[in-house]
Amino acid sequence: MIRIGNASGFYGDRLSAVREQLEGGHLDVLTGDYLAELTMLILGRDRVKNAELGYAKTFLRQMEDCLALALDRGVKVVTNAGGLNPESLARKLKNLAPDTMVGYVTGDDLKDRFPEALTANAYLGAWEIADCLTQGAQVVVTGRVTDASLVVGPAAAHFGWGRGDWDRLAGATVAGHVLECGTQATGGNYSFFTEIDATHPGFPIAEVREDGSSLITKHDGTGGAVTVDTVTAQLLYEIGAPQYLGPDVTTHFDTVRLQETPRGVEISGTRGSPPPDTLKVCLNTLGGFRNGTTFVLTGLDVEQKAELVREQLHRRIGEQDLTWTLARTDRPDAATEEQASALLHVVVKTADPKRAKAFSRAAVELALGSYPGFHVTAPPSDGTPFGVYRAAYVHRGEVSPKAVIL
Amino acid sequence: MKRPLGTIAGARSGDKGGDANIGVWVRTEAQYAWLAETLTADRLKELLPEAGAVTRYELANLKALNFVLHGLLGEGVASGTRFDPQAKALGEWLRSREVEIPEELL
Repeated sequence: MIRIGNASGFYGDRLSAVREQLEGGHLDVLTGDYLAELTMLILGRDRVKNAELGYAKTFLRQMEDCLALALDRGVKVVTNAGGLNPESLARKLKNLAPDTMVGYVTGDDLKDRFPEALTANAYLGAWEIADCLTQGAQVVVTGRVTDASLVVGPAAAHFGWGRGDWDRLAGATVAGHVLECGTQATGGNYSFFTEIDATHPGFPIAEVREDGSSLITKHDGTGGAVTVDTVTAQLLYEIGAPQYLGPDVTTHFDTVRLQETPRGVEISGTRGSPPPDTLKVCLNTLGGFRNGTTFVLTGLDVEQKAELVREQLHRRIGEQDLTWTLARTDRPDAATEEQASALLHVVVKTADPKRAKAFSRAAVELALGSYPGFHVTAPPSDGTPFGVYRAAYVHRGEVSPKAVIL
Repeated sequence: MKRPLGTIAGARSGDKGGDANIGVWVRTEAQYAWLAETLTADRLKELLPEAGAVTRYELANLKALNFVLHGLLGEGVASGTRFDPQAKALGEWLRSREVEIPEELL
């Protein structure tokens, strides 16, 4: 059995989670997911400003605080915090602990193939992580790998699994999917939260066995809960068809069996089959600039008030690129001012940064010359760039993942 | 009597690019038999009129249904103008919608 913990479900998750997981009890490996579709865009903008950046900076802070503790306890650390620049992060970690073997996984960056994109990254799998660990790495950082690979890689290395061990790989993929969003597996964001103590859920742990089955649990004394319901909730998160396609295996979610035990939830029965010939690519392009505001429309004549402000703004800056949404959150004869109010949202998305900025001025200038009761929830900003996400697919032969040890 | 679906069903929703998904699960086999029969893709669209094309998948092993709401989020979280651009609370909205639930399943 290998005991794999998770300490992060997104870039911005609980900073103290690494320490909590290391001090809370025994682990063999500590993992963390820092990358979402949106995160790649944020990191892409970091990298534009400074070529040394492009990784999750909070993870480096966590390692400044806790790397010595992890090494002292013999816990290996495996995360995708490398983002767009795993090599740079790996070098900074090596500086923190020069005697430590730091591995990194690269080869996901396909910007040459998609030059129009700000970021273009193939979802790599588990084998380069396993390769780093087999070579003795104590810390492994990757760029864009599938979230579940952070669990599959260490399990595959520990048990010596082969690339055709479909059921084992699928079982570990399920454990990885349960862990990848941190406390969403342990009672965070949980529909039946009133039935448990959800104030400070502990981070999840998977005890993965040689056959790919696992026990989902958490350290003793931590908050939240691990039940069939909390695990089911996370299994259903951000999935599509039950045939869950990954770079290393296709996992059949309709074969997963869950069973509650005193220590947590047993996952067994998972079947796997070969993965597709293609790898998914996460593409972010700069879509332009956006700005927006929300007008509060209180009391009578809500539709006419909306029409007036809409007409006024259109006359000033034209109606192209504007999206209006009138949320009828108001009710008649309300006992509070807030309940008497509707919200009129307007967003401008434009290729022209000057137009995004002009929007603010036009909206603010209405303040004394529009509908009765004019106010906004927050004044508009100067406008910010926005990204457009899209997925592409490339043949796996076009991607060359690489494991490097420093 | 009509009651919120969430009286017996849990849900979790999220985004995948421009699509949203909602996983809905219940806790007993009898509840699942009712859920699978009642909560068709068309019924989901009635309960959530903002949904466009919907695909339903059955996960009887988890007593769960998974719905993919195609194109609900436009071009994804960073560019979306939709309220709740990552569809985080779609599932809780669905749970609050009222449906006829047989007494014996409560």
